[in-house]
Amino acid sequence: MEEIKDKLELLRGRIPRAILFAIFCAFMIALPALIGKSWLNITVEMLIMALAACSLNLMLGYTGMVSFGPAGLYAVGAYTTGILLAKLGTGIVPAMIAAPIMAAIVGWGVGWICVRRTQVYFALLTLAFAQIIWTIIFEWYPVTGGDDGLVSIPTPDFFFSITNSYYFCLVLVASCIYAIWRIVNSPFGGTLQAIRENPGRVEFIGVNVKRYQLAAFVLSSLFLGVAGSLYCVFSGSAFPDYAHWTKSTDMLVICLLGGIYNFSGPIVGTAVYTILIKTISKHTMQWNLILGVIVVLLVLLMRNGVVGFLSQKLSRHR
Amino acid sequence: MNTVQGISGEPTRLPCETDSEVNPMTLEAALGQMLSGISLGMVWFLIAAGLSIIFGTLKVLNLAHGSIYMLGGFLCYHITSTLSPTPGVFWIALIVAPLLTATVGGFVEVLLLRRIYGQDMIYQYILTFGLILIIGEVCKLVWGVGYNTVAAPWPFQDAVSLFGLAFPRYNLFLIGMGILVFVGLRALIGATGLGGIIRAVTHNREVASALGINVPVVYTGVFMLGCWLAGLAGALMPPMSVVALGADLSVIIDCFIIVVIGGLGSLPGAFLGAIILGLTTAFGLYIIPKLAVAFGFILMIIVLIIRPWGLMGEPD
Repeated sequence: MEEIKDKLELLRGRIPRAILFAIFCAFMIALPALIGKSWLNITVEMLIMALAACSLNLMLGYTGMVSFGPAGLYAVGAYTTGILLAKLGTGIVPAMIAAPIMAAIVGWGVGWICVRRTQVYFALLTLAFAQIIWTIIFEWYPVTGGDDGLVSIPTPDFFFSITNSYYFCLVLVASCIYAIWRIVNSPFGGTLQAIRENPGRVEFIGVNVKRYQLAAFVLSSLFLGVAGSLYCVFSGSAFPDYAHWTKSTDMLVICLLGGIYNFSGPIVGTAVYTILIKTISKHTMQWNLILGVIVVLLVLLMRNGVVGFLSQKLSRHR
Repeated sequence: MNTVQGISGEPTRLPCETDSEVNPMTLEAALGQMLSGISLGMVWFLIAAGLSIIFGTLKVLNLAHGSIYMLGGFLCYHITSTLSPTPGVFWIALIVAPLLTATVGGFVEVLLLRRIYGQDMIYQYILTFGLILIIGEVCKLVWGVGYNTVAAPWPFQDAVSLFGLAFPRYNLFLIGMGILVFVGLRALIGATGLGGIIRAVTHNREVASALGINVPVVYTGVFMLGCWLAGLAGALMPPMSVVALGADLSVIIDCFIIVVIGGLGSLPGAFLGAIILGLTTAFGLYIIPKLAVAFGFILMIIVLIIRPWGLMGEPD
């Protein structure tokens, strides 16, 4: 174990980050040639989930707002694209541009009410709004298809090839995650982190905390909308389940699994979570039980997630 | 009122409702709906009271509270079906099932929750969310995915005629139980030495500890009391409804709405909130079935905007 750590340490010292990053990019670009179609499918799902989790972490890890309702805004994005394509017959470009805008508008309305309260109440309010969105989708049969959802949404032929879908998602997800990275490393992102650490003091130095929290909420909704829209186009369908609160808790677990105080946490968390589920469900029907045990152990033993855990281990040997 | 899954689960259907047009509401029908709503609200009150007491004292929002309720329902079904021919079997289940759920709660508090007090709230959420998954899956393994029923016990099987309307006796019994538990809890917390200790720990943990109160034991006790209440609700519900998976998630959201309307940590608030939500759901289903599921949430949002700390809660 010690030897491996030393070698890792050596690697870290010798290879600059930029090269590691370039290798990662090359790997992602070469991926369709390396793995089979079913795994490529899973990778696309992972990419979209990673974007959703990063958007959530903008609130969760960077602003310290625990939201229980990200799935609601994700579903707004998915249904906006789905309804525009299936019911109104617009092109793919306006349908995909409208999704984040719609999600941001809904996010602004929801966020405006939610940021009035903090802590438990904030979490419960976001949960309530997500459930309202779920209810609207579930009940508004003529527009959303109710519990049948929207199926066989007409998407361009381009997306019939899984490789095309993969590259499309890769480019879009990568640019969105880059945008989020720029946001959290900007002075604005710094203010958000200051709010996370101590909202009271930030208020004292003359920052309008609520306004910043609302901004974080809207930005998070915007990117969740992109993720939802992508998933709708990729799968060619939209279901009320997208807004269900179990979907929100999935996203929360992913963020926590990867580590909410690292930018790459949600991305790593998505990969670990997806692989865990795929392998566990191959062997047993009771994967919920195992997932529950993993979640409990995670909270008790590895609170900073996989990324936090690893970076702690590595820095100790530096 | 046949199922508990009013707000968040499958839309509940009442026998009398139609989707197409608004029913003209007679006085008898209104009274009938009112009694249904209140009896449903009473079961919710038991669960919400446990949730609220736990939050008030431990400052932990127990997401798995609905799972404890569901476990109570399954245990009630299990006991009544195994001891089937014995007379008064339901009453045995009503005593044993809540005690078992309280024991489960005790283990959860001592082994798991105790390690995360004072940490960020997200860890409580995720930990108790993990418990939802575990308890749900264990129930599925033991009792399967079917719908199980429990017959209404003697002497509450048949219906009683009220205002010219046949009304199940069992629902009246539920209303009585709700009021009894409310008064009992008020007395326990307000007028006994034990209640004094709980109140002291709720107000200030450090000072209570300095005065020689064994705070960890009080925490465990309060958590077990909350789980006992959830188990009691779970055992009371089956004769009025069915025992099935999925009740955990739907009931917990209803309870969140109740405690937010009433005020987190306030017992009278939970009582008031439960009645309000019960009535809203019953009348909402009767008048606009399609929107009934949203009424509870709309109510909660209105309360949070006008009086963010809840109707009976105190501003922080």
